[in-house]
Amino acid sequence: MDEARPITSSSDAETAMKTILLLEDLPEIRAWMRKLVLQVFAGATIHESARVHDAMEMVAAVKFDLALIDLGLPDGSGVDVVTKLRDVQPEAQSVVVTIHDDDEHLFPALQAGAFGYILKEQPRELITEQLQRISAGEPPLSPSIARRVMHYFTEKAKPQAQPSPVPNVSLTDRESEVLLRVAKGYTLPEIGVQLGLSRHTIADYVKQIYRKLNVSSRAEAALEAQRLGLFGSR
Amino acid sequence: MRHPALRLTLALLLWLGAGFAAVAQTAVAPLVVRSALSAPGAGAAFPADALALATALPDEWALSRPGFGGTLWYRVGLPAPAADGPLLAVYIEHLCSNHEVYLNGALVASGGRMSEPVTHNCNHPQLVSLPRALFKPEGNTLDIKLAGHRLEEVGSRFRAGALSALVIAPHAELAPQHAWRSALAVMAAQAASVSLLLLGGFMFVLGYIHRHESHLAYFGALAVGSALADARLWLRELPLAHQRVEFLLLALLAFITWAAVQFLLRYAGVRLKLADRALPAQTALVALSMIVAGPRQQHTLALLWYAVMALEVAAAGALHLRLRRGTRAGRLMALLLGAVALAGAVEVAAQWSGERGTAVLLAQWVMPVVLVLVGLRLVQQHGHALQQSESSRVQLEQRVREATAEIERNFRQLSELKVEQVTERERKRIAADLHDDLGAKLLTIVHTSDSERISTLAREALEEMRLSVRGLTGRAVRLVDALGDWRAEVVARLGQAGIDGDWHAPDELPFQLSSRAYVQTTRILREATSNIIKHSGATACTIHCTIADGDFLLVIQDNGNGIAPEVEGRLDRGHGLASMKNRAKQLHGQCLVESSPGYGTVIRLTLPLDRATGAS
Repeated sequence: MDEARPITSSSDAETAMKTILLLEDLPEIRAWMRKLVLQVFAGATIHESARVHDAMEMVAAVKFDLALIDLGLPDGSGVDVVTKLRDVQPEAQSVVVTIHDDDEHLFPALQAGAFGYILKEQPRELITEQLQRISAGEPPLSPSIARRVMHYFTEKAKPQAQPSPVPNVSLTDRESEVLLRVAKGYTLPEIGVQLGLSRHTIADYVKQIYRKLNVSSRAEAALEAQRLGLFGSR
Repeated sequence: MRHPALRLTLALLLWLGAGFAAVAQTAVAPLVVRSALSAPGAGAAFPADALALATALPDEWALSRPGFGGTLWYRVGLPAPAADGPLLAVYIEHLCSNHEVYLNGALVASGGRMSEPVTHNCNHPQLVSLPRALFKPEGNTLDIKLAGHRLEEVGSRFRAGALSALVIAPHAELAPQHAWRSALAVMAAQAASVSLLLLGGFMFVLGYIHRHESHLAYFGALAVGSALADARLWLRELPLAHQRVEFLLLALLAFITWAAVQFLLRYAGVRLKLADRALPAQTALVALSMIVAGPRQQHTLALLWYAVMALEVAAAGALHLRLRRGTRAGRLMALLLGAVALAGAVEVAAQWSGERGTAVLLAQWVMPVVLVLVGLRLVQQHGHALQQSESSRVQLEQRVREATAEIERNFRQLSELKVEQVTERERKRIAADLHDDLGAKLLTIVHTSDSERISTLAREALEEMRLSVRGLTGRAVRLVDALGDWRAEVVARLGQAGIDGDWHAPDELPFQLSSRAYVQTTRILREATSNIIKHSGATACTIHCTIADGDFLLVIQDNGNGIAPEVEGRLDRGHGLASMKNRAKQLHGQCLVESSPGYGTVIRLTLPLDRATGAS
């Protein structure tokens, strides 16, 4: 069971989200989001931004607990902010809030280090529920993204022509089991019941899956950069 | 390749030659003079004061007067011809080098210059008319003044001073014999010289252009050399002293040997460094040796060199035949080389015996004929090779054309791929634009409208827009994935509303839904869930997904209040029952709502899978 044990302990999963970054260019939606966020995270400080540039400055200046990041912004992609946050504030939790429901947009954001995403057009009560789960330490993970993540790690696990110098990041059996159940539409508490584990443990598995996604894609990026000679010749 | 034809031609030539010879022999006149008086003298008449020797004819100075060179007079007595007999003539088959003929002291024939450079008539048979007017009743004398060279000074016995027997007969009888002999000895040599010169020049140029076929160039040199050497047989006047001519002839022979050996080697595909160096050196050595040896040793030297060169050619020929053993070309070459060797043997025998019959003259033909035959064979081979290279060039062109077509095809495919990629990129760009602009505005309506209906419509418009920009390429959805999505949404929403959701679906469903069917079903399910949450007052909800008779069956049952009949009849907008039914109808399925107050509501959605699956 040790190898299946997530790295972070579940005790700090429910840390209060006190400082929140809200990156959204549409004023109405931003206002609506702020209202929702304040309902779920009562008393939180919300830093609003409509542009990537401003958000970057805020990330450099303010320490965030949670960042709700839109992807399509007038001056760039929210993925950059996710990456930046992952680099300078690894403990901050990035969640992508977007209108794009396709994997081509979502997956890069998750690989950049986001812990889940929320689709903006969803009914209000669903968004509220997802935010509540975040506050309860459960990162959002939809069946569609779970399938995509499973596919990603399955492809990686395939024997490669040349041994990769990158440490192979793969999912544990437990993590795969959780992913499979998420893909079938089960909620994290349900999976907890099915596997006889607490919902916090399941949530930690999910976080661990997100982290591995990020670590793996970073290793790939480094390898690619090396291959292209970005780090100079060796 | 052409062996039968070749043999036939040779046989025909021999038969023709034999025929002519036979004709000539029948015309031989009766009086053959076999002895004469001879005395040296440079004057214009038979030297009466000098000591005349009785000499047998044919006479060779080397035998009768060893070491003699210059001019020698011969005198024979002639009987008076019949008073009204035919015109008489004297036929001299061989004399060397030049002559003047006097009948009773009167000059009746002259071959040309009698002093250096003496005209070369050694190979020319002479027919001299004896005019009747010059005859006396008796005591007629026929004097022949002969200018010639010592045997020691010439390379061939037939170029040394000599006089054959004289045949005296009516001119008309002797003329055919003389003509035949002239044709054989002189005209044949001329023809050979001209043909070989042309053939050799042609081949040399051919070999010079095609450097990899160097044997052609050597063959050309061989033929040209032979043509020049054959010129000695018919060219009478040369503005060169006799000694120079002999020098040139032997040097030419060395050159011919060089060319012949190299041709035989190169034609067999051999390239000997030794031969490349030794043969030109030998040519120079031949010339040098003649200068060193001096005029009196020419004959011995020439014989020595003949032997050496003959050995070289024989060795080269043997090597050639050995390398090409077993091939048709090898057999042909063996035949031709054999003929040359035979001709050489005949020539050696003639030199040895001094006999110079028709066979010897025919042997002189062999070399030119062989050269012409080999030349034709080479031209044929060259033409064949040319043809082959032409055909391979055509093949190559064909291949190039094919390759070009292939490249064009690939390029076209690549272009099509490119177009697809560009289209795909453009589609994505439009999709992103629509999301960012139209999507954002619709989204604002979704979340800011006070009216639930407006908000739902805007949400649906948003979904509709997505479907449109994804177009027909919108991928089909695996039913099992769709169920996962639906379950996650429905159970989460029900849970959020405090309703106990119970979802039953088989684990494995090997079916697919078109993206439109997926979206419509999602809406129906969403509407049904909304109804339960907002209107039913239920505490539990069971959803069953099954496949039955090719239909996809979705049953949603709650334990709520049910729908009042009047509400259903009014097609209450808030409940959206009508729109659910409409959507099902669009998918060629149906949506049944069973409800009775107090017993909850059952919604049965049936979708035919053959329609709903769409193209996978």
